[in-house]
Amino acid sequence: MNKKGFAILLGTVMSLSMMLSACSSNNNSNAANNGGNPSTPTTSADASPEATEPAKEEPTKITIMLPLNVAQTPPDTIKNEIEKLTNTKLTYQFFPADTYEDKLNTTLATGGLPEVTYLKNQATFVQMKGAIRDGQFWEIGPYLAEFPNLNKLKPLILNNTKVDGKLYSLYIGRPLARQGIIYRKDWADHLGLKTPETVDEVIAMAKAFTDQDPDGDKKANTIGLADRNDLIYGAFKTLASWYATPNNWGEKDGELQPDFTFPQYTAAMDAMKQIHDAGAMNKDFAATSKTDQISLFTSGKAGLYIGSMSDVDSLNKDLIKNVPNAVVDTLALIKGPNGEQATWAIPGYNNVVLFPKSAIKDEAELKKILAFFDKQMTPEVANMMFWGIEGTHYTVEDGKAKVTDNSDLIEREVKGYKDSVIGETETNGMYEGFYSLPARIHAEEFTKENEKIAIMDPTAALDSATYTEKGVELQTIITDATYKYIYGEIDRAGFEKAIADWKKRGGDKIIEEFNAVYKK
Amino acid sequence: MIQDRTIGSRLFGIANFTLLAIFSLATVLPFIHVVAGSLTTSAEMAVKKFIIFPTDISFEAYRFVFSTNTIFRSIAVSIGVTLVGTAFSMLVTSMMAYGLSRRDLDGRKFLMFMVVFTMLFNGGLIPTFLVVKELHLIDSYAALILPLTISAFNMIILRNFFQNIPEGLEESAKMDGCSDFGILFRIVLPLSMPAIATISLFYAVTYWNTYLNAILYLNDSKMWPIQVLLRQIVVLASGFDYSSSLDGAVPPPDQAVKMAVIVVATLPILLVYPFLQKHFAKGALLGSIKG
Amino acid sequence: MREVTIRPAQLQAPRTGREIGRRLRRNIWLYVMVLPGLLYFLIFKYAPMLGLIIAFQDFKPFKGISGSEWVGLDHFHRLFTEPDFLNILTNTLILFGFNILFYFPVPIVLALMLNELRLHAFKRLFQTLIYLPHFMSWVIIVSISYVMLTMDGGIVNAVLEELGLAKINFLLSPEWFRPTYIIQVIWREAGWGTIIYLAAMAAIDPQLYEAARMDGAGRIHQIWHITLPAIRSVIIVLLILKIGDVLELGFEHVYLLLNSMNRDVAEIIDTYVYTAGLKQGKFSYSTAIGLFKSFVGLAMVIAANKLSKKFGSEGIY
Repeated sequence: MNKKGFAILLGTVMSLSMMLSACSSNNNSNAANNGGNPSTPTTSADASPEATEPAKEEPTKITIMLPLNVAQTPPDTIKNEIEKLTNTKLTYQFFPADTYEDKLNTTLATGGLPEVTYLKNQATFVQMKGAIRDGQFWEIGPYLAEFPNLNKLKPLILNNTKVDGKLYSLYIGRPLARQGIIYRKDWADHLGLKTPETVDEVIAMAKAFTDQDPDGDKKANTIGLADRNDLIYGAFKTLASWYATPNNWGEKDGELQPDFTFPQYTAAMDAMKQIHDAGAMNKDFAATSKTDQISLFTSGKAGLYIGSMSDVDSLNKDLIKNVPNAVVDTLALIKGPNGEQATWAIPGYNNVVLFPKSAIKDEAELKKILAFFDKQMTPEVANMMFWGIEGTHYTVEDGKAKVTDNSDLIEREVKGYKDSVIGETETNGMYEGFYSLPARIHAEEFTKENEKIAIMDPTAALDSATYTEKGVELQTIITDATYKYIYGEIDRAGFEKAIADWKKRGGDKIIEEFNAVYKK
Repeated sequence: MIQDRTIGSRLFGIANFTLLAIFSLATVLPFIHVVAGSLTTSAEMAVKKFIIFPTDISFEAYRFVFSTNTIFRSIAVSIGVTLVGTAFSMLVTSMMAYGLSRRDLDGRKFLMFMVVFTMLFNGGLIPTFLVVKELHLIDSYAALILPLTISAFNMIILRNFFQNIPEGLEESAKMDGCSDFGILFRIVLPLSMPAIATISLFYAVTYWNTYLNAILYLNDSKMWPIQVLLRQIVVLASGFDYSSSLDGAVPPPDQAVKMAVIVVATLPILLVYPFLQKHFAKGALLGSIKG
Repeated sequence: MREVTIRPAQLQAPRTGREIGRRLRRNIWLYVMVLPGLLYFLIFKYAPMLGLIIAFQDFKPFKGISGSEWVGLDHFHRLFTEPDFLNILTNTLILFGFNILFYFPVPIVLALMLNELRLHAFKRLFQTLIYLPHFMSWVIIVSISYVMLTMDGGIVNAVLEELGLAKINFLLSPEWFRPTYIIQVIWREAGWGTIIYLAAMAAIDPQLYEAARMDGAGRIHQIWHITLPAIRSVIIVLLILKIGDVLELGFEHVYLLLNSMNRDVAEIIDTYVYTAGLKQGKFSYSTAIGLFKSFVGLAMVIAANKLSKKFGSEGIY
């Protein structure tokens, strides 16, 4: 009995496994298995097929791999529209953003990247530079001239994404300087504070919010600033920029030096220390996550939020649920102690898209794909991908796109594609957002104004071998020292010691290497 | 059955009970918070921080979570993978554990060492991916099961349980003409129900929690199990970003939604254990040796 | 259930070829049983181990293993000459020590306590309640802890203030990192850890207890002489396995608790690997560090196994 029983068992197990492998999806256009999907052959290798002859040409098949920044993969609603507008057959492969690097590296290592590969952010781009230099991706610089819309991309930002002077990527644009202040205007009004214009006034406001009972409930339950455990996207870097601190690197006597060696950096640390010591910010900010930081603001406990001004809409939405009479406003263009006005700029992009040679076999195919992106740089397609279908997801008001109340629908159908739109409003012609919240309108205005006083990072387009190898690791020395200084655990001498440590362990080499390419 | 009636025994019983009750309360409280949080609005969460009894009951979070078909599909995938995977794993693991539990098996020490070795040395993400790819398992559900067929830990524990079954049973069964397979399936397994239940639970939880493997091996997002969806929402929400940038563009979503997804994703597996508890009946070996 | 320490097979296991051959034939079906599992390990565990070679290379994903340059022991050299290496290693070992001392006994004690509950309904209830935390991700747990422990309005500090005591900086101060860590570990895993022990206790013959009671043995005595010995082999196996994990601590948990202020005590090997290795795409370096951890773990397991055999246990191999 048992030999037969065993045979039956084995048979069952094997058929189960076979059934399972048969259950695989028939994803034939999955380029991850084979590398490359030839687009249908057409005779001419010239630029974008005219929109006047869509019926003649067969749609270009493109597989796109990109990070998923929303909860669920979007349905095909928007994709179908894009396909119609660009004469393509698209396969979008979304992968969760927080493990995107693993997926990217694994796929790269096994030769399976699809024709269009989005990276995740600037940091991933730095990691990819080795692969780029090795010739894994197409250099698209020379072809851009053939595409009228692609040519509109901002040269400054394209420059920031060049590797060894050559262009391999298209960028997803972001405003240069969205950082600013979001604050409780009703509190300021209640305390009779005028709108702060200088750093000292901001600090004073933070203290006032803490000590003078701005919500009028006779309880000492408010604090000024809500910050989190991020020196860059939290308050610190923005505050430092008001002192005209260089952005990561600055020139001193003709040489590039890191920002933390400049006196303005120390001045900024002192300012934060002042706020912290006065109890005007959350004591545990070095351990506070973004969620908890936001919660401090939206619960009505904190009155100041220094970060991306475009967050004001969602902050306000939750705030008024808890405090119905709250009024928020945004603020930027803060003056430093000597009247200087500055803010720091991101390199103008937050992600790039590359074109692997393993998937795109020849120039003709590359041009077809570039043609697709060229079409993306037109209002019709850009709006479709960013805002959705007019009427369903948004309406046009005052020449701007106003999202409909169907926020669930938008979240589900449109948002996933949003972060894949290349360029920015000025270059791809898509609508700006229509905002009704005054604070948000101010935020957009300030963002534009910020561009005039934005300090760029001079090393954005430069490379240092030592930085690539251990730059991030070394930076923790400085980050830790900055926090410890603010918390009063080390003093000026202690901070100098940390700088010396940083230099000794590789920082000196980094300075040397950046300067070598800077001079060129 | 003689009951314990001594005072010492009674006191012991009371102290025991009390301590356990306190510990249970401490462990269940945060979970209640998660459930409470899922039934309220994110605005209330921001104010109250740690809610046990929500005052503002709202099913908004659940409505949002269940408003697409993605979640149903992914739950179905998770259930399927868990059931098939657990059954398959239990089969292969029990066989191996039993074989290696027999003390007169030559090479037993060596084989066990080989198994233990794999617990310490790990080839890594990319080499394992290559193996899966070479076996043509990419984009198939088998890729979620086969690479997890045996957990060395589970096998070692199961083997330990099998070893503790008296050899006398095996010998008398052999004398009755039973084959090794017969002994395994008709004697050893029924006597090891607590162990079987336990290890099945461990496998079920592992399969249910599949996340990274799904992303690496399944390029079609329609095939993804529930944990991928969960992580997307929870990790996004915490602001805990595995890399430094990408700020400002994605504000954390609703706290209540985050809680709701946790409840939805863990509830099924939570319900499994109580069902298995009935296999923990005492005295399973009663009467089997005597005689 | 007494642990079998006599090995009948060994007593009669002569080394003659004929004896071995006969044994093999007799046990052929046992080998068949082991085969599928063995195949699994060979295919999915040993084959990928060949990839460990990148620890000795300057591996670049796009070059592949065959195309990447050989650097020998460079990565190990880098690890050992890292100024913080000793500190990081010490931190890791200390947390391991905390784990063994403070966490490891808890599931055993809890299981013993649960086993002593006379009312089965409560036993089932408590069992279910205490394993609930195991299903909560570290992200959630640390986030809830933050809310409770923060100095800006957290419950714990609020209570301390009420009692007139000074506020404690749980989240940032180095002194509180390890206690916070281990309490969270106990809270999350202890309940789950009882399951194995309870399964082992289920196999105990109730008559043993009756006999003991009739001899006048108290509850503690019964636990010590009946329950504990029954789960002894499980405890030893689990202990040996835990020792093999000496340098392998939960990365995510520690990473979430790590911040600039407590880094001196909180940075462990895994978080270091993350910052220095993975974040910058340094596969080779992180693999080399992983290899280092593996070798240390292996040495510990071999030692622990030998030691356990000296004490009469069967060890794990």
